[in-house]
Amino acid sequence: MAGARTDRPVSPLRGPRRRYSRCAITPPRINVARSLLPLSSTPPHPPSPSPVAPSRSSCSPPPFACCLMASIAGSAVSFAKPVKAINTNSLSFSGPRRGNAFLRLQPVPMRFAVCCSAKQDTVEKVCEIVKKQLAVPEGTEVCGTTKFSDLGADSLDTVEIVMGLEEEFQISVEETSAQAIATVEDAATLIDKLVSAKSS
Amino acid sequence: MRHHHLLLRCRAMPLLPLPPRTLRVSGGLVHHRLIRCHGMPIPRRTPGVSGGRLFASLPLPPPLQSPREVHVWYLCPDELNNQSQLNMYEELLSPSEREYADSMKATMLRKDVVLSRALLRTTLSRYTGCKIDPRSFEFKKNKFGKPEVLWPLDDSTAEQPLHFNISHTTSLIACGIAINAHIGIDVEEKKRNTTKNILSLARRYFTPSEVDSLAEISDSDAQRKEFLKLWTLKEAYVKALGMGFSGAPFSTFSIMLETSKGIRISKTSNASRPGYDHLSENWLFTLAELNSSHYMSVCIEDSSRSQGPEDSPAPVGLKVWKTVPFVEDTLVSGTEAVKLIA
Repeated sequence: MAGARTDRPVSPLRGPRRRYSRCAITPPRINVARSLLPLSSTPPHPPSPSPVAPSRSSCSPPPFACCLMASIAGSAVSFAKPVKAINTNSLSFSGPRRGNAFLRLQPVPMRFAVCCSAKQDTVEKVCEIVKKQLAVPEGTEVCGTTKFSDLGADSLDTVEIVMGLEEEFQISVEETSAQAIATVEDAATLIDKLVSAKSS
Repeated sequence: MRHHHLLLRCRAMPLLPLPPRTLRVSGGLVHHRLIRCHGMPIPRRTPGVSGGRLFASLPLPPPLQSPREVHVWYLCPDELNNQSQLNMYEELLSPSEREYADSMKATMLRKDVVLSRALLRTTLSRYTGCKIDPRSFEFKKNKFGKPEVLWPLDDSTAEQPLHFNISHTTSLIACGIAINAHIGIDVEEKKRNTTKNILSLARRYFTPSEVDSLAEISDSDAQRKEFLKLWTLKEAYVKALGMGFSGAPFSTFSIMLETSKGIRISKTSNASRPGYDHLSENWLFTLAELNSSHYMSVCIEDSSRSQGPEDSPAPVGLKVWKTVPFVEDTLVSGTEAVKLIA
């Protein structure tokens, strides 16, 4: 049972094209096909922290954290698409979210946090809930660094995911906190925080 | 070099004459970066595509008559598969937008990014008399992330600022335009299903009165549709306010559909907590069914004085076009394709 999306045509968005995953826990897999693409953008460099407001700040979570994690993991850091690292300073609009409710993808303050601050267990549970909600096809990778927007989640999906997480972890998520969630990892970190606050 | 031979069948209203623009001219060259000058060639990005020639073929829409009028332009991504057309749209994007599109790993999402930016830019160009190249628009975000046009300081269109808002579903991307009024728009597929039970979703996110009105509906399909209508209306309000989901949590305001005065909004007691003073009720709503497949909600600011409870707010003047930018525009409001619900 594929979940909520049975009525929708299965879009190729969830198709066999491998998502370039950069999980900090598992060794990052470099998608070979993508690495053959010409690098039209400038070589990767760590972006300088940009002001969150007013005008052109990015709405993506700190992708360079992934760069750091990958280098720590000792893998070849020859990212095919360093675009994410460069994007952070040059975006001027908000992304293609279905419903577009600013529910997430608010400019997240640049975090240079290197480690996954969320427990792996939590991350996995979040991935499961997300996969079920979005009817992600078998074989598509969903991990800590996966962005909800990359999975095509719209605002209704997001609130259902949040509700699912609340039920699973017996927590209550405020709208302000929910809005700051951009990746699976963000959700997991928030959950851990709320769970430990509850038990303390 | 052959340029694109574009078939243009516009059934919108006839073109209106525009007052001549005054340009700052110095030494014979136009310095205003937004104005296309016949003397200066527009830098070409690919051979055969002349941005200037293309955007001049966008027909002028009828002007927005009042702050209560909303024009909506939408396109259906599934119907736009002509790669050369898509490339043409991509040409309109700014470098950062193109980078953002490139960062999308899924092809469909990438196409949606390109289409939605192209739709926005071409629509804005139409409403500035087709004198501004779609590629020239720049945008800024307010502190909550709501995008707005960054008008150049000396541009005369800044006197009557255009406001826009975009909404996507997999099968439809809509852009709403209003003049002098903040606008929010939300579109949702009618057949959209939820994984969670409707009433439990409503209990978690909606207000008690809305939950009650949903609980009264016995047929589950009708209940689901009612939920979606409320959802799009609430979403349109939040987007119009421009303060993000947390600026106006769904539980702080109620939307009533079935009143004799059309759609009304009222704040709940939740909203009397500090931090929600900005929640205002002077907003006009309209809800329509598009092509029998989508619900579309539009919310605009009501700046008129007559806002007493006895006064019935004048209806929002809604005009809707289905568009394939540069190819075909079809006025669909007033036909079966747009059915006003409220």
